[in-house]
Amino acid sequence: MAQIFDRSSNALVRMSLVLTGLIVIALGVSLDELQRSPWVTRQGQRAEQPVPFSHEHHVMGLGLQCQYCHTSVEKSGYAGIPPTETCMNCHAQMWTNAALLQPVRQSWATGASIPWIRVHDLPDFVYFNHEIHVNKGIGCSTCHGRVDLMPLMYEQNTLQMEWCLNCHRNPGRNLRPTSEIYNMAWTGPTAQKPVWCSTTGPKDGVPTAQTVDCTTVDPSRANPQTASINMLPAVYEGHMADGGGGARAPAALDYVKFTSQDGLGQFLEKQYRIRTPQELSSCETCHR
Amino acid sequence: MRDVPPMSWTGDSATGTGQQRGGPADLDLNNLDDGRREAEMAKETVKDQNEMAALKTGHEPAGEALLTLEQARAKLAGKTGKKYWRSLDELADTPAFHEMVQREFPAEAAEWIDPVTRRGFLKVMGASLALAGLSGCTKQPDEQIYPYIKQPEDLVLGRPVYFATAFPFPTGAIPLLVKSDAYRPIKLDGNPEHPFNRGTSDIITQATLLDMYDPDRSQRPLYRGEVRPFIEFVAAFRAMAADKKAGGGQGLYILSDTVTSPTLAAQWKTAQKSYPQAKWLQWDPVNRDSWYTASKTAFGDYYDAQYRLEGADVILSLDADFLSGIAHPGFLRLAADYANRRKLQPTPSNPNPEINRLYAVESTPSTTGFKADNRMAIKASEVAGFAASVAAALGVAGAQADASWSSGPRQKFLSAVVADLKANGGKSAVIPGDQQSPAVHLAAIAINQALGNAGKTVVYTETVNPMPAIQGDDIKTLVADMQAGKVDWLVILNANPVYTCPADLNFEQAMGRVNTIVHLGSHVDETALGAHWHINNAHYLESWSDARAYDGTVSVVQPMIDPLYGGKTPQEIIQSLLDDPDMSGYDAVRTNWIGTLPGADKDFAWRKVLHDGFITDTAFQPKTVTAKIGSLSGTPAASAAGTLEVVFRPDPNVYDGRYANVGWLQEIPKPIVSMSWDNAALMSYETRGRLGLAEEDVIEIELNGRKISAPVFSVPGHPDDTLSLALGYGRQNAGRVGSGPGFNAYLLRTSAAPLFAGGAKITKTGKTYPLAVTKSHYTDHRSVFAGGDGSGTHSLEGNEAMERGIVRYATVADFKQHPDFAHEENIPEDPKPNETLFANWRYDKNAWGMAIDMNSCVGCNACIAACYAENNIAVVGKHQTKTGRIMQWIRIDTYFEGDLDAPRAHFQPMTCQQCENAPCEQVCPVGATIHSPEGLNVMVYNRCVGVRYCSNNCPYKVRKFNFLLFSDFTTPSLKLMRNPDVTVRSRGVMEKCSYCTQRIIAAKIAADKQNRDIRDGEIVTACQQSCPTGAIVFGNINDKQSRVAKLKAQQRNYGVLADLNVRPRTTYIAEVINPNPDLDEAQIQSAPVNS
Repeated sequence: MAQIFDRSSNALVRMSLVLTGLIVIALGVSLDELQRSPWVTRQGQRAEQPVPFSHEHHVMGLGLQCQYCHTSVEKSGYAGIPPTETCMNCHAQMWTNAALLQPVRQSWATGASIPWIRVHDLPDFVYFNHEIHVNKGIGCSTCHGRVDLMPLMYEQNTLQMEWCLNCHRNPGRNLRPTSEIYNMAWTGPTAQKPVWCSTTGPKDGVPTAQTVDCTTVDPSRANPQTASINMLPAVYEGHMADGGGGARAPAALDYVKFTSQDGLGQFLEKQYRIRTPQELSSCETCHR
Repeated sequence: MRDVPPMSWTGDSATGTGQQRGGPADLDLNNLDDGRREAEMAKETVKDQNEMAALKTGHEPAGEALLTLEQARAKLAGKTGKKYWRSLDELADTPAFHEMVQREFPAEAAEWIDPVTRRGFLKVMGASLALAGLSGCTKQPDEQIYPYIKQPEDLVLGRPVYFATAFPFPTGAIPLLVKSDAYRPIKLDGNPEHPFNRGTSDIITQATLLDMYDPDRSQRPLYRGEVRPFIEFVAAFRAMAADKKAGGGQGLYILSDTVTSPTLAAQWKTAQKSYPQAKWLQWDPVNRDSWYTASKTAFGDYYDAQYRLEGADVILSLDADFLSGIAHPGFLRLAADYANRRKLQPTPSNPNPEINRLYAVESTPSTTGFKADNRMAIKASEVAGFAASVAAALGVAGAQADASWSSGPRQKFLSAVVADLKANGGKSAVIPGDQQSPAVHLAAIAINQALGNAGKTVVYTETVNPMPAIQGDDIKTLVADMQAGKVDWLVILNANPVYTCPADLNFEQAMGRVNTIVHLGSHVDETALGAHWHINNAHYLESWSDARAYDGTVSVVQPMIDPLYGGKTPQEIIQSLLDDPDMSGYDAVRTNWIGTLPGADKDFAWRKVLHDGFITDTAFQPKTVTAKIGSLSGTPAASAAGTLEVVFRPDPNVYDGRYANVGWLQEIPKPIVSMSWDNAALMSYETRGRLGLAEEDVIEIELNGRKISAPVFSVPGHPDDTLSLALGYGRQNAGRVGSGPGFNAYLLRTSAAPLFAGGAKITKTGKTYPLAVTKSHYTDHRSVFAGGDGSGTHSLEGNEAMERGIVRYATVADFKQHPDFAHEENIPEDPKPNETLFANWRYDKNAWGMAIDMNSCVGCNACIAACYAENNIAVVGKHQTKTGRIMQWIRIDTYFEGDLDAPRAHFQPMTCQQCENAPCEQVCPVGATIHSPEGLNVMVYNRCVGVRYCSNNCPYKVRKFNFLLFSDFTTPSLKLMRNPDVTVRSRGVMEKCSYCTQRIIAAKIAADKQNRDIRDGEIVTACQQSCPTGAIVFGNINDKQSRVAKLKAQQRNYGVLADLNVRPRTTYIAEVINPNPDLDEAQIQSAPVNS
């Protein structure tokens, strides 16, 4: 009986084996890419909101502070979406006839909520808490990006678990002084823009804001009045001075100068009593 | 599919699965077209679920391998040492039990028994498999945010607010602190500042949360079944009131449940001035008639008795179930005081704490009886004789001893009790049960007086309820007047007499003679259907009212939420009769109390009352009263040969039936019997054997010509020749949950004998009725390595409880000699920390742990209900419960010991032990259950793929699997109720106790914000919070000063199955019992081995 398959078909088989492997890999890669793509994560997408509210205009243009609207960010897990009343505080006086604001006026008149589309939407099995983040030195812009430059709100980061863990495994890289939480332009210390911090040491039961003081103005050159406020009667031993990569400002012995985020991060991790990466990345921290 | 020829094997698997169930019916169904067939199958399954008829399970009840008492005793006789058991099957080692143990889950647990047939499932599954790789990439749907228009100023969204209120209950209010999330009540707990309950609560109180969110609540006023606005009723009612004013209200009758609100009583008092002829009558099927009758006889007035058990060395319960729930007046305080005397924890002020001793005689096995150091089961009708005999032996004038107590073991028991009481005059308490006759209460009053307890351990006060009445007389008066045509308008406030009225009165028929019947109620229930007007009631969490806790302290009931369905309160209806008919409930309550408040600034004082939830210093002052006892005797009437006595009891969960539609209460297994979703005719093994009945056989009970059918269930320690019937089941119109389960015992209950009645005849019907009993569910097959004998019959339950030391206890005398008894004897040693293959975890900061005091646990189930509420636990239904899929995270394991008829029982709350060397963690293929740095076994639902290896490997059987979609994701009202901090679990996910990890995290965040450590006692788990006796203590075991660490340092501390080297974080404090040494021998004489 003649052979059904010619010898040349061996090559075909080999090729198809390789091809199959490639296809499987390609499928895997594309699924992986899809999984992380903005289509799934909504990163960078601008949802169609009932009112095209501009954070850029209100924050950058008018200088509203974040907490004017997001009132509970420091005291609750939920930052809070402003009630219609907050809008009407101003818009009862200005732009009272603007067509864009019709849904706001309608809400105010009828008592029906403005149905915003959630931009930062975590899965329901994730329990994120704003209050602990902002109280421990994670600024708004770390997660939300330069909201003050966003005419329409969008998600700066993927909010996927790997993104969360990147920080929970090394919180220092994103820590900033609690006084800079709402500073949208904060970039961390550099050699050109150092940060000086002083501390009275963490105290039991005393919020961090009262024991650590940081400034971007060289305390040795600040005017005497500011300096006297900032100069705490501290007994900071200064053992972070070398390890932190910063050098002591000569005129203000109580302040430590930081020129890199690593140094500042390590300092703040200790001062803010940030839990260990092991604790922070344990499942029950976010899932329960 | 049906056209595929039989030859073809490729595509035919689906047809094959259709035959899975077997039987000709299914074969016929295969010939139908697909859609119809599946509909039929679904219908069939639904029918199964509804009727539970002829359901075959692998675990047949003991019936088929029916074990006679002799056989059971013979089995027991050969054994040495303490012998524990949990169900008769286990005791007998029946083949059915063997089979049961061989399985990881009870029979059918691994099958699909739901309206989705297996074939349908395969179809769906095929599609999901195809998408499996993509499911992680699916987009979340757009979610919307609906902000407030004007946000309340003090509201911080995401942060709970706590408000004080009270749960008015006929036996006294339970003061509450309600956790409110965005003004939705989501958790009820006792008010920790209240002097009466100090933060504790009970199963019914916990479950009233679901009662409020019950989707079947009546939602609008009805007139003859048609929806009408409330205003129309008000107009009609006021017109009637105006008409009747001239006649002084003649023909106006009000029937309410027990009035608990002083404001309502005050309103009625005012109304009576204008309507002197109108009548207010009260009716609750479970009432305090016996006590009130006795009180009137002895003191000439209605009083309440408060027992101060902190000073009682000896307690005698005369059929009083004061440790199992709020059906007994003053339960929370009684249980706490009882348990405090059993903790045996030396304090600086009391270095040598003395344990109390509890004697119980009872007619229905209860947790009180099984917690008693010496217990005797007697017929309900014999309790009066016993009480009179005790009184006679103590020299009470006029007391006549009953002859049956003059010889044998009974005489021995009696004399031991009497001797102990005599020796502890002024330091003892005799508590009569509300379900006993007035004679028993009278005897208790006399005995307490003779012993000098009155004024010390027993004080008499005003009644908690502002309008005490003999309700049995009230309902008789009412029905007589209805029959006589005297009743023109009958206003029924929150009562359901059509269902609960004594059977001989025939309330339903009498209703036809009333011109207008108004029914105010939470549901369109049996009575509402016969009423002309039905007004939907506002739940107590939605309304203004007031009530007194059992100590007399006045609590203000304040609304936690706007009435979901615009319900009305009794106060609002009665206010219509007064001069100021539109006064709101708030004003009525405020007006009633504001004058009595201290201080000049009354408004401030009132606001403080609302903040605190109660008015301070309003507890009753003890009255100095002397009882006049006439004659006391209690020889029961001779019963006809061959008849049984029937005892009626409120159900421990659904009470008198008013909570029948609360799924949690239906599902949580009742104490002792471990039965959910049903009541049954409870009897002793002896009686069951004599009558030739098997468990789950349906019998017909005939009592004075009235008949009902009920399934049989036998209970250890039940007295012979009596049947115990729980009230509250067999409802017709309770709602989707409550209509149907069980049988209606009210149909046998007459006004002449509302508590117990003799002369019942029993006939076997030949039918069976499956009962969902959970006590044999948690079995495990142990290998030789894990301490088993390799036979496969060793389980977590009874028969290894002794060898493995699951239950450890000693008598006081033993304890004094061997304080380390919990680690002696033949109990396997706990391995040393280095005896493990796995690297030890390090716990540098916190290490959470729990200690459960077996001495304090009274098995009341409050913790289970609290856990359901806190952790969004799903209700699975009777069928699923029977197959072992009940989702409770904490259960009370009841271990019986000794003889079938006079056992001792041990209650052991069992929940995830948070092992440091957890077997579950080692087998999870996807890392869904892992170890946290603080020692928790955390369960990550979104990782779980449902292989169930963890449950298989869990020696405690505390993991629960969502076999089906048990959580209700659709009913809107239930969404409001859920704890927002806990994930609602979907199908295919394993879940278990997390030590309330959401509370741990909340405390951590609070502490971290303040840069401090978590304080001891800052984290309270839900079970711990609810526990009436403080049996559960949680905390950081690394902190040697914490309460839990101190408890664990006690010698009595032991870990269950700790010899497996799993290192449980939850440990138990071994029980110390205090039986009368004279009596112990006699008590368990018939038991095979003496402990």
